[in-house]
Amino acid sequence: MPIASRLALALLLPALLVNLAVFLVPMGNLALLSFQQASAGGALLGGFTFATWAKMFGDVFYAELVLDSVTIALSITALTLLCAYPIALFIYRTPERWKNLLIVACVSPLLVSAVVRTYGWMVILGDGGLVASILRGLGMVKPPRMVFNTTGVVIGLVEILMPYMILALIAGFGRLNASLEEAAASLGARPFTVFRRIVVPLTLPGIMLGCLLAFVLAVSSFITPKLLGGGRVFLLATEIYDQAIVTLNWPVAAALSLVVLVIFGIALLLYGRLSRAIA
Amino acid sequence: MSDAHLVLEALEKRFGAGPPAVAALSLAVQKGELLGLLGPSGCGKTTTLRMIGGLAEATAGRILVAGHDVTTLPPHKRDMGIVFQNYALFPHMDVAGNVAFGLEMRKQSRAEIAAKVERALAMVHLDGLGHRRPRELSGGQQQRVALARALVIEPSILLLDEPLSNLDAKLREEMRTEIRDIQKRLGITTIFVTHDQVEALAMCDRIAVMRAGSLEQLGTPFDIYESPATPFVADFVGRINRLDGARDGDGDILAGPLRLRAAKPGPAGRVTVMMRPHRLHIATDAIGPEWNSAAGTIRRATYVGDVLACEVDCAGAMLTVERHTHPGQPIPREGEAVNLAWRVSDTLAFDA
Ligand SMILES: Nc1ncnc2c1ncn2[C@@H]1O[C@H](COP(=O)(O)OP(=O)(O)O)[C@@H](O)[C@H]1O
Ligand SMILES: [Mg+2]
Repeated sequence: MPIASRLALALLLPALLVNLAVFLVPMGNLALLSFQQASAGGALLGGFTFATWAKMFGDVFYAELVLDSVTIALSITALTLLCAYPIALFIYRTPERWKNLLIVACVSPLLVSAVVRTYGWMVILGDGGLVASILRGLGMVKPPRMVFNTTGVVIGLVEILMPYMILALIAGFGRLNASLEEAAASLGARPFTVFRRIVVPLTLPGIMLGCLLAFVLAVSSFITPKLLGGGRVFLLATEIYDQAIVTLNWPVAAALSLVVLVIFGIALLLYGRLSRAIA
Repeated sequence: MSDAHLVLEALEKRFGAGPPAVAALSLAVQKGELLGLLGPSGCGKTTTLRMIGGLAEATAGRILVAGHDVTTLPPHKRDMGIVFQNYALFPHMDVAGNVAFGLEMRKQSRAEIAAKVERALAMVHLDGLGHRRPRELSGGQQQRVALARALVIEPSILLLDEPLSNLDAKLREEMRTEIRDIQKRLGITTIFVTHDQVEALAMCDRIAVMRAGSLEQLGTPFDIYESPATPFVADFVGRINRLDGARDGDGDILAGPLRLRAAKPGPAGRVTVMMRPHRLHIATDAIGPEWNSAAGTIRRATYVGDVLACEVDCAGAMLTVERHTHPGQPIPREGEAVNLAWRVSDTLAFDA
């Protein structure tokens, strides 16, 4: 082995060991856990059974849970992209002097815990909250419910995920360049055509990175769906929590966690494929 | 001026406070003419080009194309082909896609587009490279794609912003003649921005020399070089000797120890005298009345192969003489005493 790659291996080794210890080993434990028997009270009885997995594949509740989670996460991702894209584009085009200030402003919500922000949304979206009051003031007799349902979860998560999306988008906008847009315009492209044919394709790396990040965070987010869903919105992350902490059914919690891992794997695979396709 | 194809009327561009980037610029460009915008970096050439192309808004003045006011028209309605300094090729499209873009915007048929793209690529000698990505091309090839992309739409006006500045010297000369040939063949009205006076002199029908946002002189390469309107133009379009002096009542100019006569008469007062180095001769024969002369000592002789440059100290006035080299002709030694002579008609005097 050449010295350079031996040195590289030596330098990578600590990180590899740490990853092995804190990621792969627990994951293996999780996998084993999903095959264990448990008593109704939650005690693990050891042994080896396919019962948990059989139940998950047999019960339509779990299929719906996965489908709902993925659908809601995808909707959240799409909405986050829609809200964040114009902001990211604006920041990217801002002169350097103001750019950093705007980025800090966009990221500053991260300084406040997601729990606090979620409670903020509960107040704003609640029946007597700001949005409902405004709608009533505008003449709506019975404003729609916006908390303790999917709507609330989506609104809250979109806002919480926007800083991540904006950062990822800006990071992926490197190929965009004002003179390319000008060249397109000089060749006869109307502003919307410039956007469609030049801006969107050139920002695709940012869009994909942002979507991957938002999707993963949306699927794994737990506090916001728990609070804004009010126990009426069933998602993978909240269900894992309930199974592990409330129902004390650890094998089911472990199996669901592995399902989430598979979903992430699929998302990453798709991301890799698409990245290569547009390169 | 009504027959001019492109007319700029008192065009002005201001960026915030301070002096304008372009001020009161008026020009008329004939159909099929190649007009050079020449000037040092920062004098407003690009800004002028961007205003013509609709990429920057004029803060005052008008732009007319074939008699129509286009001053406020957005770029996509101006029908102008622009070649950017950095080429601005679309990185996510292949060469053919780049060239086809403008035709697609014009809603031409697939077959028509394919044929035109092929012809345009052949014109710039890129046949068969249609499927390459821009990043897989050399600088010279990218430049050709940019040119083909701008020309294929058959624009009414072609705008070139220092198109050769990113190429190496040899390629630059090649592209110079190539661009000029294509431009002449298509008869397309062209504005060519450059800070390279040789490029401007070699390519343009007329040159507009700009200085700090204003037009300093407009003329043919011959006019600009032989009859510069100002010391700035004389200095910018080629190497030149410069002496400060004063003109007396007889029209003689006293510059330090030298008594000179200039090509054109003028009033008494302070003047700047300028002579091109290659118009000065190291004299051997007696000189006639059409000549100025000076005696001096060679301070430095620089031999660069085709040209020999001598700096001559004429009693405090430093003059540079250049001549072509010949084998068998001795290279003057430093300290050698020489007589310099040059024609009165080559002596430019500018009233200060
Ligand atoms: N977008 C801009 N904002 C502010 N000033 C600018 C801008 N573009 C150009 N300028 C200024 O205008 C002047 C002319 O610039 P430019 O037209 O690019 O010069 P050139 O192309 O002749 O080198 C320069 O002083 C430059 O700093
Ligand atoms: Mg410029």
